[in-house]
Amino acid sequence: MIFLAKLGVGVMGTALIGAAALSSEGFIHVKVRESRAGGTRVNLIVPAALVPAALKFVPDHHLAKASKQLRPYLPVIDAAVPALEVCPDGVLVEVIDATDHVRITKEGGSFLVEVNQPDNEVNVSVPLRAAQSSIHEIAEANGFD
Amino acid sequence: MKTSGKGFSALVVFSALLVATFAVAATTTRYIHVRVSSAGTHELVRVNLPLSLAEQVIPAINHGQLRDGKVRIGHLDANNVNVRAILEALKAAPEGEFVNVQDVGNDVRVAKEHGLMVVHVADKENRQNIDVTIPWDVAQALISETSENQLNVEAAVKALENVGDMNLVKVTGQDQNVRVWVDSRSSGE
Repeated sequence: MIFLAKLGVGVMGTALIGAAALSSEGFIHVKVRESRAGGTRVNLIVPAALVPAALKFVPDHHLAKASKQLRPYLPVIDAAVPALEVCPDGVLVEVIDATDHVRITKEGGSFLVEVNQPDNEVNVSVPLRAAQSSIHEIAEANGFD
Repeated sequence: MKTSGKGFSALVVFSALLVATFAVAATTTRYIHVRVSSAGTHELVRVNLPLSLAEQVIPAINHGQLRDGKVRIGHLDANNVNVRAILEALKAAPEGEFVNVQDVGNDVRVAKEHGLMVVHVADKENRQNIDVTIPWDVAQALISETSENQLNVEAAVKALENVGDMNLVKVTGQDQNVRVWVDSRSSGE
């Protein structure tokens, strides 16, 4: 009985630590809504810490092209992310035309991209730190072109 | 004795208010805003960039003509317009109007007024007005620690942190209006 209790506490503890680690970098939230009948509706919430971890399992040669393209921008990203984190929240870029509306906002520790078109609506929220670690993970892949 | 006690309390309150004011002033984020609107296409682009972000990012960009916070302006030299030399000359000049050209196509006016460099161009052919106002400290920062064909963007952005709310560039045209300004509001308008 005592053994089972200890096992239960161990499992619960591990689960809690795992959940805390997974949510430590926040969550990526993707929401897609097509307004036509039968259109796509996606509402996805993924722990941001999973993305850089998952990228470790992607063979390097699949990331080679992206890696080469991203590498020159790493210093800029590394400078921008900490600076953005301490900036007050607000709309950074907004583009409006006759039909579309695109908005990039900094909200808490995340980037929020909202695209509103007559036929669909896309909202993506990405924690800044997770975006930075994912970009590093891709840029540091040593695959061949 | 009672009066001096009240005086001391007032001094403490005043000092606290002063410290609080400085603390608030020190933490205020300054923004550079860009607004481009096209009447014909009903397009509107708004960019609200914290100057602190620009300050951190600009030195990290080493691409094309922008390196180490400085932009190379070689192509302007090629047209015999040396921006750096013009700013150096203006630095020593007294306040007043330097250039005033009025012809059939364009009116151009360049002046140094109240610590600001003011440029006004009226393009009559395209029915466009361009107004550029650069605080003198920012103009000075642009040419600081540079070689002949460089402008120090990083220093200019730092200098912009210390100027008051103001319009920097205003272009008013038939099809498009552009406005660039600095203030402390994140929303821009």
